[in-house]
Amino acid sequence: MTRYVLGRLGGVVLILLAVCLFTYLIFFKLSPDPAVMICGKTCTPERIDSIRTVLGLNQPLLTQFWEFLSGIFAGRDYGSVHCSAPCLGYSFQTNESVWSMITARLPVSITVAVGAAVLWLLVGVIGGLVSAVKQGTWWDRSAMGLALGGVSVPNYVLALVLQYVLVVKLQVLPFPSAVSFVDNPAVWFESYLMPWVVLAVGYACLYARLTRSNVIDTLAENYYRTARAKGLSGALIMRRHALRPALTPITTIFGMDFAGLLGGALITETVFGLNGIGKMAADSIAKNDQPVIMAVTLLAAFFVVIGNVVVDLLYTALDPRVRVVSA
Amino acid sequence: MSDELFVVDNLTVTLPTSRGPVDVVKNVSFTVGRDETVGIVGESGSGKSMTALAVLGLLPRGARTSGSVRLDGAELLGRSDRDLRSVRGNAISMVFQDPLSSLNPYYTVGLQIAEMYRTHRGGSRSAARKVAIEALERVHIPDAARRVDHYPHQFSGGMRQRVMIAMALCCSPSLLIADEPTTALDVTVQAQILELLAELQSTTGTGMMFITHDLAVISSIAQRVLVMQSGDPVEYGTAEQVFSDPRHEYTRMLLDAVSRIDDEVLS
Repeated sequence: MTRYVLGRLGGVVLILLAVCLFTYLIFFKLSPDPAVMICGKTCTPERIDSIRTVLGLNQPLLTQFWEFLSGIFAGRDYGSVHCSAPCLGYSFQTNESVWSMITARLPVSITVAVGAAVLWLLVGVIGGLVSAVKQGTWWDRSAMGLALGGVSVPNYVLALVLQYVLVVKLQVLPFPSAVSFVDNPAVWFESYLMPWVVLAVGYACLYARLTRSNVIDTLAENYYRTARAKGLSGALIMRRHALRPALTPITTIFGMDFAGLLGGALITETVFGLNGIGKMAADSIAKNDQPVIMAVTLLAAFFVVIGNVVVDLLYTALDPRVRVVSA
Repeated sequence: MSDELFVVDNLTVTLPTSRGPVDVVKNVSFTVGRDETVGIVGESGSGKSMTALAVLGLLPRGARTSGSVRLDGAELLGRSDRDLRSVRGNAISMVFQDPLSSLNPYYTVGLQIAEMYRTHRGGSRSAARKVAIEALERVHIPDAARRVDHYPHQFSGGMRQRVMIAMALCCSPSLLIADEPTTALDVTVQAQILELLAELQSTTGTGMMFITHDLAVISSIAQRVLVMQSGDPVEYGTAEQVFSDPRHEYTRMLLDAVSRIDDEVLS
């Protein structure tokens, strides 16, 4: 088991290195010259040269890449300015340290992701379960019809409609603002409620359909019939012989979806003006702020890759058939 | 014959289909005595398994039944699901055809035996675990104290069926329904399982309803035989009479199908 974990972590390092290299190549080598961009309108060739020297852009490509990598772990110097580890450089737009930008915005993205995940798991799994048990009934058909509709509505449409109805027309919710939980829990909750709902709707619909079909498949399993033939109580049959087998595959999908969201909910954060990683990504791409784009890409890759490993390890705990093969 | 433990009287099972209700079991009657094995034979679709599922109230949704099914004189047909729970696994238990898919892959075999024992008999987890180990020992699973914590996929096909049998017998039922218990197994393992069932029956006195399409299997284990064809009972009698002097054309055909293979081997 330890060997398996170490092997997987080794793989993680390799994947992240590859992502680093590709992102680096795409954004630093194929985009416009950063030195020209930083220099601005009143630019002289001498200034460009000095910026190149400070950023290390006159070095060979591999040396630059190595500088970037080692900066993350050991920090680096830009001329007379020291950027302490973990150093992801400075924003071309605001000269802010990219690392401090991330640490300031990550809590917002995490709050959005966690709240939405709780919501979609509750609604999706319970809705799907009830649909499966009441298969073919009026409830099942309307819930699944609704779910199909919900999956099809784009986030930004739903966000704008909700904002218009709840904030502008009915005025039951304030426009989302960056209030910390500690300062004012009620306003904090109201601010995040719409982003949570908007983000959760699509996933909830997807998870409801998934849960329903998984549970229906499980109810047709021979071991479910065995459990009934054993005379077990309804609750025990449901919990052990229907839910556990039906929900185990959903953990895989959930892990991936959740990890993806930690890297920022681009559309939702942008529409609601939440200062999270997603909005930071959108802004940096719009302004070609390469160090920030690089950092946001790496962060998203980091979460997805780590999420993947966590799901795999969790799966070995959840499904005994996987456990024995990997041990 | 010993006294009647289990009586099926004029059982009819009707399933709803898109073309209206269809009788999949028609007026089936037979009895099983204590210590006795009754074989139910027929090709697939003849209604054998539906008969078994009807006994335990495990028919698909929308199925209707009529007639009478009595265990020790108590009527089982028409009782509520909740009511039947105390019968299932307790007074009547069942062994299914495919032991791999019939056991839940997510739990150890020990837990799957213990959960049934605790449901019907109560008691602590550790006591139920002991019962599970004893049950596995009774069906000759080597190293039962260790194997009790293994998962179904860690057993071979024959061993898995032994686990199913151990589970079915752990509450000492008075009737065991074995639905094609040897069909998914290879021939040598088949013989071992049949031997085991016969041995357990002689020590526990459990009545057995043995469902199969395999006449060779039936001839080695059953005292009485019911032959079914598309839901109809076509012949019912002692094994000796059915095999040596079949009255019905269909039975003769089934027997011919078996002996023809033997003829070819002999010639």
